[in-house]
Amino acid sequence: MSSVIRTRGLVKRYGRLRAVDGIDLHVRAGDVYGFLGANGSGKTTTVRMLLGLVLPTAGEVELLGGRMPRAGRRVLPRVGALVEGPAHHGHLSGRANLGLIDAAGPGGSRRTRRARIEEVLEQVGLGGIDRRPVRAYSLGMRQRLGLAAALLRRPELLVLDEPTNGLDPQGIHEIRDLLLELNRGGTTVFLSSHLLAEVEQLCTRVGVLDRGRLVLQDELARLTAPTGATVVDTPAADRVRAVLDGRVLGVDGSRVVVRGTDPAEVNAVLVGAGVPVTGLALQRPTLEEVVLAAAGTSADRVEAAR
Amino acid sequence: MIGVELRKLFRRPRTWVTIAVLNALPVLVAVLVQLTDLAPRPGEGPPFLSAVLTNGALFPLAALAIVLPLFLPIAVAVVAGDAVAGEAQAGTLRYLLVRPSGRTRLLVAKLVALMAFVLVTVLVVAGVGYVVGTTLFDAQPVGGGTSVSGTSLSQQELAGRSLMAIGYVTVSMLGVAAFGLFFSTLTDSPLAAALGALAVLVTSSLLFTLDAASPIAPYLPTRYWLAFVDLFRDPVLWRDVVRGLALQGVYVGVLLAAAWANFTTKDVTS
Amino acid sequence: MAARGRGASARWAAVGLLVAVLVALPSVVAALPADDADAPAAELRAAVLASEDVGFSGYAVSAGGLALPVSERLTDVADLFSDRTLMRVWWRGPAEHRVDVVSGAGETGVHRDPGGTWTWDFEAGTATRGTPASLALPAPPDLLPAALGRRLLSEAADDELSRAGARRVAGRDALGLRLVPADAASSVGRVDVWVDPASGLPLQVEVFAEDADLAALDTRFLDLDLAVPPADVVAFTPPPEATLLTAPDTEGLIAQAEERAPDVRLPRELAGLPRRSFEGVPDAVGVYGRGVTLLAAAPVPGRLAGGLREALTASPDAVTDELGTRVAAGPLGLMLVTPPDGPAYVLTGTVTLDALADAARRLPGAAS
Repeated sequence: MSSVIRTRGLVKRYGRLRAVDGIDLHVRAGDVYGFLGANGSGKTTTVRMLLGLVLPTAGEVELLGGRMPRAGRRVLPRVGALVEGPAHHGHLSGRANLGLIDAAGPGGSRRTRRARIEEVLEQVGLGGIDRRPVRAYSLGMRQRLGLAAALLRRPELLVLDEPTNGLDPQGIHEIRDLLLELNRGGTTVFLSSHLLAEVEQLCTRVGVLDRGRLVLQDELARLTAPTGATVVDTPAADRVRAVLDGRVLGVDGSRVVVRGTDPAEVNAVLVGAGVPVTGLALQRPTLEEVVLAAAGTSADRVEAAR
Repeated sequence: MIGVELRKLFRRPRTWVTIAVLNALPVLVAVLVQLTDLAPRPGEGPPFLSAVLTNGALFPLAALAIVLPLFLPIAVAVVAGDAVAGEAQAGTLRYLLVRPSGRTRLLVAKLVALMAFVLVTVLVVAGVGYVVGTTLFDAQPVGGGTSVSGTSLSQQELAGRSLMAIGYVTVSMLGVAAFGLFFSTLTDSPLAAALGALAVLVTSSLLFTLDAASPIAPYLPTRYWLAFVDLFRDPVLWRDVVRGLALQGVYVGVLLAAAWANFTTKDVTS
Repeated sequence: MAARGRGASARWAAVGLLVAVLVALPSVVAALPADDADAPAAELRAAVLASEDVGFSGYAVSAGGLALPVSERLTDVADLFSDRTLMRVWWRGPAEHRVDVVSGAGETGVHRDPGGTWTWDFEAGTATRGTPASLALPAPPDLLPAALGRRLLSEAADDELSRAGARRVAGRDALGLRLVPADAASSVGRVDVWVDPASGLPLQVEVFAEDADLAALDTRFLDLDLAVPPADVVAFTPPPEATLLTAPDTEGLIAQAEERAPDVRLPRELAGLPRRSFEGVPDAVGVYGRGVTLLAAAPVPGRLAGGLREALTASPDAVTDELGTRVAAGPLGLMLVTPPDGPAYVLTGTVTLDALADAARRLPGAAS
C-alpha cells in the first residue's frame, strides 16, 4: 500500500516552545486514520503543517507523494479538509459559499459545478437547504456545509479536524456512515479528534500525540487485540478462584480475570464445577486504556511548581 | 480567482452601504449650496465647488474633490484592511489556502478586487455627482465648459478630461489600498489593518502641511492627490499627474512586495 | 527556523533592496555633477541681458522667506515674497507672454499682449483687462527667474560680479554668476544667478541677506523647454460666462496720489545713495541707489501712517526710537519715519537698518 501522508522528523517551534516535536506520521492509502491527542497536544498544528498552512521549523511533509508546502498546488486539489471548525461567508447562502470555494482554486470545472454542489449537499444531508444566508444556520448545519466543501472535488484524501463538533447523536451517526462509505469507495480519511469513542468506532489505524510527540502509531485491531485472558462475570467470584486456582489474574467485585484464550474452555470448566457464569468475554484493552497508558497527564493540566 | 474576489466584494451588502454613504456627503453639499446659493469663496472650499453655480456639469469633479481628502481613503482603507485580515478573522482564509489558491495569487486577486472597488466607487460618485449637478444647477447650455486656465473646452474635451481625472483619482487610491493590504497580512484584525492604513494617511497629510517636512514632501503618498485639478488646466499640467502616478506605482510595488514577503512565509493559524 | 527562516529572510532582503534602490535614486540623480564651462562673468551677464527675446515655456517655483509687515491691502504682494509660488510660463517676448500662478484649487493667469494684460482668476470667474504701466506693484511674473535675474543684473558693475561654479537646474547645466553689491548701505549679501549658457536665460536666482546662509528669495525653473510656445497658448479670449473687469488705471491713481501728497522736497542723496529718476515715478517719491541696492522714500498721509505704524510695531523685531519705527525682513528694510513736525515718511528698500536710520535723519523736518 502506498503512503498518503508521511512526515519525517516534523518539528514546529514557537519561540522556546516545541509545539510539535519530531513526528513521523505514516498514513497509508485506504486507511481511516485516527489522530488522537488531548487539547494542546499539537494536533491542530500538525494538521496545518500537513496542509501547508503552517510552515514547519524542521522536518518534511509528504502529501500524496508531493513535498509540502511546495507541491501544494499539485496535490491539494486532491485533498478535502475541515480544519478547526467550518468557516463561511455569513451573508451568502450555502450554495453560493460552495460555488465560491470551488471557483477559488484549480481542478473544479465550471460546467459540473452546480451538479457537484447538489451532490455533496445531498451527501451531507443538506439537499433541501434554501437561499437563506449561512449566518442563519445552526452549528450542526455549518459543520455539514464545511464537510460538503471538503467533499466538493471528490478528494482522495480527507483531512478532518473534529468533524462531528456541534452535531447531535443522529448527526454524528450519519456522518460516521458517510465517512465509512467514502472510505469503502477508496478515500483515505485522516481524522483528528480528542473523542476516543469516535476514533474507536471509525478508525483502522491510530496515532496518539502527547505534548508534541507521537507516542503511539499502530493498527487499532492490534492495539486492542486480546490480551490472552478471559473475563468472567459471576456472582460467586471466590468460588472461581477455588476452581481455577493459579489461573486467576485478578478479582474486581463480580468480575474475575482468568488466564486463557478460549472462553468456551473456561466456561466449560466453571459450569462443570457448578459455578454460575453470567457473562463471559475475551479480555481486550479499550482504546482509552491504551491511550492513557501511552500518554501522560492532560496537556492543559498545569502542575503546581514546587 | 480574481472573479471570485470580485464576486465576494460586490455581493457583500457592506460594500454598497459604503459606496452609498460616500455619496451622501457630496449630495448634501450640493443641496446646501443650491438652497443657500452660497458657493465657497475663491481659495476656500474644495476645487470646482465655486464654479458649480455657473456650470452644474462640473459637480462630478467637485464631488470627487469633496470625498478625496478623507471619505474615499477611509472607505478604501476599511475595505483594504479587510482583504486578508477579514478572511483570517472569519476563518475562511485557511479554506481558501487549502483549496488551494496560492498565496501570491490571492494577494494579487485581492489587489485587483480593491482596484475594482475604487474604480466603481469613484465612478458612482462621479455619476451621482453628474445627475445631482445637472438637476440642481444650470448645465452649460452650449455644452463643454471652461478650463481652469480660462480657455473653452469642447464637450468631448471635458468628458475626456473627466475620464482621465476619474482614472487618476482611482490610481491615487491604490497607495492607500496597498497600505491596507500590507497591514492586512500583518494582523488578523481587519480593524487594526484599516487603522494602520489611516494612520499612514493622517501622518502623510499632516507632514504635507509642515514646512520642516518639505524635503520628504514629494514622497508622501498624499502629495499629488489633488493633481487631478491639473488635468483641467489648459494646456494640461502633466508634471504632478505623472509624478503622482509614478509615486503610487512605487508605493503599490513596494507594499505589494512587502505583503508578498510577509504573507508567503507566514503561518496561517487563524 | 531552518525552512521558514531562509525563505523569509531572502524575500525580505529582496524587498529591502528594492526599497533601498528606490530611496537612493532621487539623491543619486540629484548628485549628478554639473558641467562647468569657462565663461567669464561679464560675458555671462551680457548673455543674460540679451535673453529677453528668447522664447521658452516652463514651470517655475519661487520661495520667499520675507515676511513683510504690511497692511491688509497689500497681502497679495506680501504672500508673493513669503510663500511658495508655482508658476507656469509661456514666453514669446517681453510684450507677449503668459504666466499662470498655479494653486491647488485654481489659478490666476496673466496674459500679456502688446495692448495690455488680461488677468484671469478661475475661482472668482473674472477676467480683468489692464494697460501696461511703467510703475506697478510686484506681480508673480516679476518673480520668474528669467525676469528677476535680468532685473537684478541689469545695473551690476563688472567688479561686483564673479563666477560661482555650476549646478543642475531643471535638468540643465547652469553656470553660476555671483553679484556682491559694492554699496556699504546694501543689505543684500549676494545674489546668485544660475544661467543657461546656451540661451543666456537665468534658470535660478537666489538672493541672500547679509551674513545669511539661507536664501531670502529663491526662484528657479523646475521644467524648461527652450522652444517658442505657440501664440494661441499665450493669447487669451475671455470665456463667455466670465465677469469682465477693467483694472484700475495706475497712472491716474498715481497722479491723484501726487496731488494729495504733502508738498515736500526730497534730498539728492540718502544714506550715501544718489537719487535717480524713473519714468512714471511721481516727484513725491524719491528713488535712490543702483542695481540691487535701492531705497525709496515717500511722504505718507496721516491716516495711512497710523495704520502702517500698527502693522510695523506688531512685528516683534521692530525697532522704535525717536526717528520712527523700522523693521527688516531678510534683506528688505521698511521704516516709518515720524518727525516731530512735518509729514510722516515711509522708507523702504534693500538697505540695512542703520542706513535707514541714517536716511531718516536727512529727511526734511526730521529729528536730528
